[in-house]
Amino acid sequence: MSVRVLNPNAEVLNKSAALHMNINAAKGLQDVLKSNLGPKGTIKMLVGGAGDIKLTKDGNTLLKEMQIQNPTAIMIARTAVAQDDISGDGTTTTVIFIGELMKQAERCIDEGMHPRVVVDGFEIAKRATLEFLENFRTPVLIQMGEEADREMLKMVARTTLRTKLYESLADQLTDIVVNAVLCIRKPEEPIDLFMVEIMHMRQKFDVDTRLVEGLVLDHGSRHPDMKRRAENCHILTCNVSLEYEKSEINAGFFYSNAEQREAMVAAERRSVDERVRKIIDLKNKVCAGTDDNFVVINQKGIDPPSLDLLARAGIVALRRAKRRNMERLVLACGGEAVNSVDDLTPDCLGWAGLVYEHVLGEEKYTFVENVKHPNSCTILIKGPNDHTIAQIKDAVRDGLRSVKNTIEDEAVVRGAGAFEVAARQHLVNKVKKTVKGRAQLGIQAFADALLIVPKTLAENSGLDTQDVIISLTGEHDNGNVVGLNQHTGDPIDPLMEGIFDNYAVKRQIINSGPVIASQLLLVDEVIRAGRNMRKPS
Amino acid sequence: MFINKEQVDGHKEEYFGESMKELVTFQVGSYANFIGSHFWNFQDELLGLVEDTEADLVFKNQNIDMDVLYRTGENHQGMATYTPRLISVDFQGSLGSMSSHGTLYNQNSSLSSSVTTWTGSVSTQSTEPHKKNLFLKRLYDEGQEVGANANGIDKVSGESNSEILDTDVVKSLEDGVQYWTDFSKVHYHPQSLFELNGSWMGTKEFNNYRIGRDTVSEGLQGDEINERLRFFVEECDHVQGIQFIVDDSGGFSGVAASLLENIEDEYTNVPVLLYSVRSPGSYTSVANRKQVISRNLHDAVSFSALSSLCKLIVPLGLPSLSESRASQFLNLQNEKLYHSSAVYASAIHSITLPFRMKRVGPAESLSESGAMDLYEGIQMLVGQARQNSVTILDAAMPSPSITDRRFPLRNLQPLTPETAEDVEDLQAIESMVVHGVRGAGNHEASVSEVREAVETSYENTSTRPRFSHVSVSRCPLPIPLPFPSIFGNLVGRRGELLSNPQPGSGSRGSLDVHSIPMAARLRSTTAVLPFLENRLNNIRKFGMERGSIGVDVLRDWGFGKEEIEEIGENLSKMVLALDPEQGYSSDSD
Repeated sequence: MSVRVLNPNAEVLNKSAALHMNINAAKGLQDVLKSNLGPKGTIKMLVGGAGDIKLTKDGNTLLKEMQIQNPTAIMIARTAVAQDDISGDGTTTTVIFIGELMKQAERCIDEGMHPRVVVDGFEIAKRATLEFLENFRTPVLIQMGEEADREMLKMVARTTLRTKLYESLADQLTDIVVNAVLCIRKPEEPIDLFMVEIMHMRQKFDVDTRLVEGLVLDHGSRHPDMKRRAENCHILTCNVSLEYEKSEINAGFFYSNAEQREAMVAAERRSVDERVRKIIDLKNKVCAGTDDNFVVINQKGIDPPSLDLLARAGIVALRRAKRRNMERLVLACGGEAVNSVDDLTPDCLGWAGLVYEHVLGEEKYTFVENVKHPNSCTILIKGPNDHTIAQIKDAVRDGLRSVKNTIEDEAVVRGAGAFEVAARQHLVNKVKKTVKGRAQLGIQAFADALLIVPKTLAENSGLDTQDVIISLTGEHDNGNVVGLNQHTGDPIDPLMEGIFDNYAVKRQIINSGPVIASQLLLVDEVIRAGRNMRKPS
Repeated sequence: MFINKEQVDGHKEEYFGESMKELVTFQVGSYANFIGSHFWNFQDELLGLVEDTEADLVFKNQNIDMDVLYRTGENHQGMATYTPRLISVDFQGSLGSMSSHGTLYNQNSSLSSSVTTWTGSVSTQSTEPHKKNLFLKRLYDEGQEVGANANGIDKVSGESNSEILDTDVVKSLEDGVQYWTDFSKVHYHPQSLFELNGSWMGTKEFNNYRIGRDTVSEGLQGDEINERLRFFVEECDHVQGIQFIVDDSGGFSGVAASLLENIEDEYTNVPVLLYSVRSPGSYTSVANRKQVISRNLHDAVSFSALSSLCKLIVPLGLPSLSESRASQFLNLQNEKLYHSSAVYASAIHSITLPFRMKRVGPAESLSESGAMDLYEGIQMLVGQARQNSVTILDAAMPSPSITDRRFPLRNLQPLTPETAEDVEDLQAIESMVVHGVRGAGNHEASVSEVREAVETSYENTSTRPRFSHVSVSRCPLPIPLPFPSIFGNLVGRRGELLSNPQPGSGSRGSLDVHSIPMAARLRSTTAVLPFLENRLNNIRKFGMERGSIGVDVLRDWGFGKEEIEEIGENLSKMVLALDPEQGYSSDSD
């Protein structure tokens, strides 16, 4: 639908003109994103009409900020963004790969080939490349606690992070994201990255970013008499209303006189106080005769009279905690999240060695630290301004995804362009020969399109792309799997350098790129396909 | 259960130790933000008038608790701030020259600090900066003058000796308002302004419920808005409710529905009062039949969803406000959002006054009467036998004076579209707010005088509602400088209705009119039936009939047969609640 709305002329354009329009759109998008790629790419600073700044080195973020109107470009962008949703990275690569497939196809078509034939070649090449990837990948099986495995995870995370942040910050975050994922990882269970809280403070320098084993909450207690720092804390995680509430509207009920209303108010207050009392009882039970402290972290509200009661009993109480923090707190501190105070036992309680508040202007933070066996943790990002924080946050998310992917894929792929060159040589030297006729040209086009990755890496490093490609393909033909050293332009062994990409990311790129390129080449289908392109999967 | 007048009179005189307090405001969608912008300008003006030594005494002793709507905070420089407890959601790029971080929490020289996270090359892409109009320029200059003791309250007094003249400001706004921020004089908190990123979507495509839901879930945008709500609610000691203004003519209805679902989950007992607003422009006719069907279905789907997610819904927005009787003393242009939104904002301001009146204990206040919290207000209108939660908002702008101890009720005209006139409904319930109204001889009327006049008038109407509640305040609606010139030439300086037209042009604005008396009223009545029936008929006609194009449209939006039937049932229940004899039978039961 969007295609037709945006480009009412699409249907009257003849096929060839429409085809070239698609190719140009793909090339245009490629041009915009190309300079992003790799550790030598260009960071983009976007300044809005009111002076708001966005900083990004991430293709995904950049695409979303762009005002794309061309329907073809929108299709490509959606595919690329879906790539990020599925695998967490590879947006830029997807866009430039699609652009390059279109460029190579254009050459064949200009020489008189029918797009259908090119597309057939793409299909064969795609399947062959995916098969090749299965053999090319480097298997890794991450055991708990093995130092060698941790090194592997670090290498993958570092590869990603160094494309988004300057080296020493990237390296610092590498440790943080790897430790964070290992912290929340539970045997035999899928990794839930939501159990890593990402919190930020606008303060000082980006290098102060750190991993908190425990939790950082973005609010504090709301009573002046509550402690700002407490050691040896029992933690009650609950979702219980500790405020006076009026009964549900629509009950068809109305007080018949003022006394009755007063009585209702008093009764409701009593029941709130009763709930508070039960918490205080538990506190007295577990803290009696010790210096231990008691902290209540509640998802629901706590009104001033309740806060008063709790403060008088020496309890620290936080209200309106995030829903997800209910889960995280229990994973970090132990105990369980309770929805009612009726059956409170000491077993419900978690434990933290230290709970303290940090105030920054009107913002308050509560740190819950020194927990025993944390299965949840917080990455605390610090930065001098919002756009820096936002960019670090994006990078951290990508880093976390790359670690999770590695553990779940049980494999990685040698990076720095090594895979693309290897796959290209495989297609040209082996696969092409198994096919007869013109489809060979389609395979050749696909193979050459793969080279856009090392080419762009070279270009962004200011190297001569032809020299680089010749030297890389030469090495591969001699049986050496090499990638590009971005400083010197020489071939390097990614295994030795520790440059690894995610298997899932590469797989997804090879899968989705040709699908869109084929659709764009078979123009008639594009227009029909446009209808359902909102959510490519 | 019938409540008689005495009981409710007793109502106001009680002081609850447990009275509810804070309101959180949502503005979702373009027109909602236009209305909101005017609404906050009124509040800002009231705040300024309290401090203004030259202001009228009614403003100084207004006895309205601004903390209900505002929060106190502190910026990074340690300066105290006072900002609306507001979350505004609009398209990216809809903020014009205003930064989404607001103005008080500025990050000094953030541009020069540039890129600290990347040592490689940087490319900067700047959008052409939005030019500040004369009004914003002047605000900015004044802000600079106030400098260090800026406290979040802006005063734009008519006698300012600023270099930019009032007349120039007014003219520049009349000619050039493009964004709702162009005429806003309020400082917003950095958490308040959320720009929705609808990836590569034009406003034209963002035209249905489904697309709104999809967009808000993209990239966790919904989660982020919900987090902002949590930020505002966490600091509240006792939230009395949430008022939600949503422009539901397009995708923003889906956005609102997603946000409301979260509110229902997280803040179960916090009542929501929702205004679904439409600009005159949203009624412009579309040529092709499919678009007509699509729009009608959207209206039905949207209304059904939103009404089920709030406690009270008030549809607002007449197709042609300028030609309606509600604007008989106004002179406005439908095509200017800046104009029409001012009218709806005024009515919303009036209707929310009782939620903000300070309860001073058992003694009758001299400046206010009829305070209630949002819960009580909704309970009164909805929590009765009929349980109708769709109400009509009427307004008299400006309100006429009291004559012969009567208050001219007929001047209240609906701002809700598709209502029936002259309906006799013995079950009707009304909640009226009258403020700043003048008595005979143009003297200022006392609270009790107004109250009695309204009650007398009710007693003497032929179609009396079953029950009516009246709130009165002496404080009129202040007209801030950036208010549009929409008053006709029969409106005087203090909003009085003149018998002879003022000389000069047909439109009078903030320079000629400084305040106006207002009356507004919420009505739960069968007069809203046409509105409900239109939506019910549309879902039946286009959504349920076999082979209709509408079925495809709804399928594209992700609605299956059962969901469509559910919508139909929901709407027919609402009709039946008001009119049990209609004979609308439920299909599937």
